[in-house]
Amino acid sequence: MLNVSIMDILVGSLFAGLLIGMVLALVALGLTIIFGVMDIVNFAHGEFLMIGMYTGLLTAQGLGIDPLFTLPVAGVVGFLLGVICYFGFIKFLLRGPMVAQLLGTFGLMLFLRNLALLIFGSEDRALHHGILVGKSFEIGMGVIVSATKLTCAGLSVVAFLAVWLLMNRTKIGKALTATSLDAQGARYMGVPTQKMNALAWGIGGASVTIAGALIVNFWSVNPFIGLLFTMIAFAIVALGGFGSVPGAFFAGLVVGMITELPGFWDFFTYTFEADWMVDIPMTSFKYMWVYLAYFVIMVVRPRGLFGWKQ
Amino acid sequence: MEAIRNALDFSDFPRLDLIVAGSVGIAFIIFPLFPHSSFAMSTMIQFLMFSLYGMGWNTIGGYGGQVDLGKAQYVGIGAYTTAVMLILWDVPFWVSMPIGMFFSVVWSFIIGYPLFRLKGHYFAIATIATSLVLKDLFEVWDFVGAARGLEISPIKYHPPDFLRLIFREDVYYFYVILGFFFLGVLYMNWFRKSRLGFQLRSIKDNEDVARSLGINVHWAKVKTYAIATAFVSMVGSFHACYIKSIEPEDTMSLDISILIALMAMLGGAGSLWGPIIGAGILIPLKSYLKEWLGAQVGLVGIDLIIYALIIMVISAFEPRGVWGIVEKFRRRKRN
Repeated sequence: MLNVSIMDILVGSLFAGLLIGMVLALVALGLTIIFGVMDIVNFAHGEFLMIGMYTGLLTAQGLGIDPLFTLPVAGVVGFLLGVICYFGFIKFLLRGPMVAQLLGTFGLMLFLRNLALLIFGSEDRALHHGILVGKSFEIGMGVIVSATKLTCAGLSVVAFLAVWLLMNRTKIGKALTATSLDAQGARYMGVPTQKMNALAWGIGGASVTIAGALIVNFWSVNPFIGLLFTMIAFAIVALGGFGSVPGAFFAGLVVGMITELPGFWDFFTYTFEADWMVDIPMTSFKYMWVYLAYFVIMVVRPRGLFGWKQ
Repeated sequence: MEAIRNALDFSDFPRLDLIVAGSVGIAFIIFPLFPHSSFAMSTMIQFLMFSLYGMGWNTIGGYGGQVDLGKAQYVGIGAYTTAVMLILWDVPFWVSMPIGMFFSVVWSFIIGYPLFRLKGHYFAIATIATSLVLKDLFEVWDFVGAARGLEISPIKYHPPDFLRLIFREDVYYFYVILGFFFLGVLYMNWFRKSRLGFQLRSIKDNEDVARSLGINVHWAKVKTYAIATAFVSMVGSFHACYIKSIEPEDTMSLDISILIALMAMLGGAGSLWGPIIGAGILIPLKSYLKEWLGAQVGLVGIDLIIYALIIMVISAFEPRGVWGIVEKFRRRKRN
C-alpha cells in the first residue's frame, strides 16, 4: 500500500506541474512576443497579469456570470492596455538607451501596482463561485485534479495555439515575424513597423490578461502579486529562448515542474527513506528554484532551448 | 601619494562646478548647527547613504554601462554581517564593516564571473535573479533570524558608542556618513581618472574595439563590479547600525536595487556628480511624498504612483539625466 501512495505523490506532482505549466506558458507568451518583436524587456508584465486577474474577478462578481466567461472581457482589456502603453509610453522609451528602457518599464510596473493598491486595497481577494470552483475528480491512480486547473490548462493551450496560428499562418503574423527579424528591412518592404510593435504589445497584453483571468480561478489576487509572475515569466522566456513561441510552451511546462519541486522532493524522501531530506523546508524555497534556474540557464545557454536571438 | 594627489585634483571641472560643489559640501558640514526637525535629519542621512550607493552603482553601471539591478543583495550582506557580528560576538562596527565588504566582494566574484558573460537585458535580469535567490535564502535562514530579521537593541550599549556606532542622536550618524560621503567622492574622483576608469569607458563605447586594444574586458568588468559591491556593502553595514532592525524585505528587496540604479540615472550616469544630484532629488521627494500624501492625506500608494510617473517621464524623455541637461546647455552656450 505504501508503494501506491508514493506513486500518488509522484504522479500528482507531475500532473500539477504540467497543468500549472500550461497556464504559466501562456503568461510567458506575451513577454516573449514583445521581446522578440522589439527587444524590450517588459517588467510590467506581471502587473498586466494582475490587471487580468482583477478584470476576471470583478466582471464575474459584478455581472454575476461564471468566471470562465470573462475571458473575452479580459482579452479586450489586455489588448487595449498593451496598445495604450505602447503609444503612450513605450514608443518614447525605444529611442533611449537600454538602461532607460529597463527602468522605464519598471516605472510602469510601479505605477500599475500602486494604482491597483489605491483602487482595490491591499487585501487578498478570491473567487468563491462558479461552475468549476471547488470541484475535482479522480483521474485514476489516486490522483485528484481540480476541475478549475484542468479547464484552465486546457483553455491556455487553446489560447496558445490561437496565437501560434496567428503568428505562423496569417499575413499579420508574417509581418510581425519580419519586424522581429529585421525592423529596418521590414520597414523598407512596406510593413508598418510602428503598428506591428503596437500589435505585439496588444497581443502580449491580451494573452497575459487572459492568463490572469484563468489564474484567478484558483489563486487569490492582491496588488503585489505581479513581481512573482514577472520573474517566473522571465525564467520561462530565458529557458525557451527570448522571442521563441514554441520555446515558451515547452519551457512553461518545465518551469511548472520546477514550481512543483516540493512534491518531487517528498517523493524522493520517501523512496530513499532519506531522513536528512525531511529537514529541508522545500516549500519555502518553491520560487527560489525558478530564479536559480533562470540564472543557470542564462549562464550556461543564453540563447535558451529554441532561441535564435543572441 | 600619486593616487591621493589624483583624488584631490578636481582641476578638470569648470570653476562654477567647484564653487557649487564646495558650497554644498560646506552646507552639509554646518547643516546640524541650524535648527532642524528630526525628519529633515533622517532624510539627510538617507540622502547621503543613497548617494554612496549610487556612486557605487555608477562605477559599473555609469562608467561601465553594465546595468546592474541586483545591488540590494550586497546591502543585505553588509548589513547582516555587521548585525550578526555585533549581536553574537560584540564585534565593533569598524571591524565588521571590512569583513562584510570582504564577504560581499567574494560573493561578487562568485556570481560576477559567470554573470559577465551576459550582456544587456540578460545581464540585468540575471542580477535581479541572484538578488532574489539570496533574499529567499535569508528569509528561511534561522541563523540570521529568517523573515523576522535581526534587531540590535541599543539598551545593551552605552551611547554614544563610537566603536559600535550606537548613538542616541542622529547627529553622530550624520557626521559618520558624511565622512564616508567625502571619502567616496574623493575615491570616485580618483577612479574616473584611473586606468580602470578609462578602460571601462572604452568598454561602454564599444566592447569589441576595447578588446582589440588589449583590454581584458571580462576581468575589468568583474573588478569594477567588486568595487561597486564594496561601496554598497560598506553603506549596508552603516545601515544596520543606523536603522538597528534589519529584515530581508527592507534591505534586500528589488525596490532598493532599482532605486539605486534610478538615482544614478536621474542625476546622470557616468558622471561624478550624477548620483549625488539624483539622490538629492529623489530621496527628499520620496520621503516628503510618503510623509504628506501617504500618511496625512491617507491615500495609500499615491506617493509611489507619483514616484513611478517621475521614473517614466525621465526614462522616456531625458534618459541622460539632470547632468545630461546641464551638459547639453553648456555645449549650446559654447557654440
